[in-house]
Amino acid sequence: DEIGLIPCPEARYNRSPIVLVENKLGVESWCVKFLLPYVHNKLLLYRQRKQWLNKDELIDITCTLLMLNPDFTTAWNVRKELILSGTLNPLKDLHLGKLALTKFPKSPETWIHRRWVLQQLIQENSLPSLVTKGNLEAAPVERIHGLVQEEMNVCSEAAGRYPSNYNAWSHRIWVLQHLGKLTVKVLLDELSSTKYWVSTHVSDHSGFHYRQFLLKSLLGRTVTDNNVLVQNQMVNEQNPSLQKEEEEGAGAEAACAEEQNVDLPRRLEEELELCTELIDTYPGHETLWCHSDETLSNSHHSPATSHMAQAMDVDGLNESSSKQGYTQETKRLKRAPVQDSLGPEVEYRFIDKVLSTCRDADQARFATAYRKWLVTFLSQ
Amino acid sequence: APISHRSAYCAASVASLTNILTPALFAGTAEWIARCQNWEGGIGGVPGMEAHGGYTFCGVAALVILKKEHLLNLRSLLHWVTRRQMRFEGGFQGRCNKLVDGCYSFWQAGLLPLIHRALHARGDTALSMAHWMFDQSALQEYILLCCQCPAGGLLDKPGKSRDFYHTCYCLSGLAIAQHFGSGDLHHEVVLGVPENRLQATHPVYNITPEKVVRAVMHFLQQPVPSLEPAA
Repeated sequence: DEIGLIPCPEARYNRSPIVLVENKLGVESWCVKFLLPYVHNKLLLYRQRKQWLNKDELIDITCTLLMLNPDFTTAWNVRKELILSGTLNPLKDLHLGKLALTKFPKSPETWIHRRWVLQQLIQENSLPSLVTKGNLEAAPVERIHGLVQEEMNVCSEAAGRYPSNYNAWSHRIWVLQHLGKLTVKVLLDELSSTKYWVSTHVSDHSGFHYRQFLLKSLLGRTVTDNNVLVQNQMVNEQNPSLQKEEEEGAGAEAACAEEQNVDLPRRLEEELELCTELIDTYPGHETLWCHSDETLSNSHHSPATSHMAQAMDVDGLNESSSKQGYTQETKRLKRAPVQDSLGPEVEYRFIDKVLSTCRDADQARFATAYRKWLVTFLSQ
Repeated sequence: APISHRSAYCAASVASLTNILTPALFAGTAEWIARCQNWEGGIGGVPGMEAHGGYTFCGVAALVILKKEHLLNLRSLLHWVTRRQMRFEGGFQGRCNKLVDGCYSFWQAGLLPLIHRALHARGDTALSMAHWMFDQSALQEYILLCCQCPAGGLLDKPGKSRDFYHTCYCLSGLAIAQHFGSGDLHHEVVLGVPENRLQATHPVYNITPEKVVRAVMHFLQQPVPSLEPAA
């Protein structure tokens, strides 16, 4: 489940440089300068039609090559050909890629090939039954769900292996868009499963950016779904027989009222609470302040809350007790009818508290900048 | 359809210099790039992705060539890129909360001349006539003091080894930092001894402005290639 290079400049004993311990594969470094050119050359000769290699040899050679250098596009392309001809199981490439990423978590070519393989897998009707050898074929929806979960794991691991791993997070977004279809369920699941991860990687801008992507997608989703729901209702009123068909057609993403009713203002508030908690615990991380900015901005612009912007209960704000802690205030203010307009007030109090108690210079600077931004933002 | 900003920039550069740029060639390109501008103000690899210095430069420069830079929110772009200059180091980071890297001396700082020009074209009266909107001296300090390899060549940051890529983009960034504007409005800020002065570089193509002129003139005098295959 992991590969790596063992620093070992000289071959001391007459034995294999391959070391396998507890499911982890190591290669002693001295042999690489012999092995890599050898396999590389063999593959190139094959490509130039100067030397034939049979399918098993090709699979072995490309596998070796890619574990040593996964950015060797030609090797991935040879495997694409093998997959298309039905000789190679695409799931093997997902596994190979996963292995390569343990050592090369950024490898652009690995991620690119992975997306190609996934695209092949979801067009499963065109593939031979190689993929489900011997097993009962899982329902397509479940299979895809399985694939999505696995991809989330692979991305998470790669993101953990290299800070702000742009390629890993890009891939994660791509999977949600193309395999997960950005369903509300998938978005909410991801929101909860990445919460712990970002809390333990507070400088990982990419991780927080991912959460912005999830929240924005939910925002977009609720708007579209509400529109669709209204349209469906109108259609159903006219055509009762159509209704049943539509419900069945919707499949896992049932058009029932509860599912569509994502409490977006609440989500955004939770996000803001998360930011605040982290900012308090880990002073001086610009990412957290950026994320805070944007979340607050979203909570003002989300369609669900924007209609409330007019009815601002200013008196209620001024009377609220400042003796209570930040989280207490949030909960109390939540019960008031106008939620979104209270956000900035709470933020002002938070900033003032940070400025009066923090000792970290960066933290103070971020807090001051945030305050300036709030003032500008509210005046718009 | 999704395209790579790097490819778009290369294609637009080549097409514009060789006088083969047609609207058909880049149909939809500008709109796609603009869609990649995100809430941070910079441009990501695809819509929804994190803003990234390299993609942002390529995207913006491509738009400038296609004369569509106004599809972007220039204000948030300006806000994003200026925040990428590191307070302590003086150099630029590629993305929020990441480390400084010498090559971003060009990818990031190089955005300021482009934005300056775009805002000027829009009639912005608050623009400086002598300086770009970043700390030119601080960037020069970072490059000269931290990014030089004693054996020659330039690099990412102290402790890294030299390579041609970093040598190219550290020098390009240095040139941007030393020269404001052109012609009558040209203003130089050269840190240290006069020998540190580099030739100015063209902010879009990153070759000297004279070469850009010569290339354009040369190809303007050639017949435009026809789309028919050769007989």
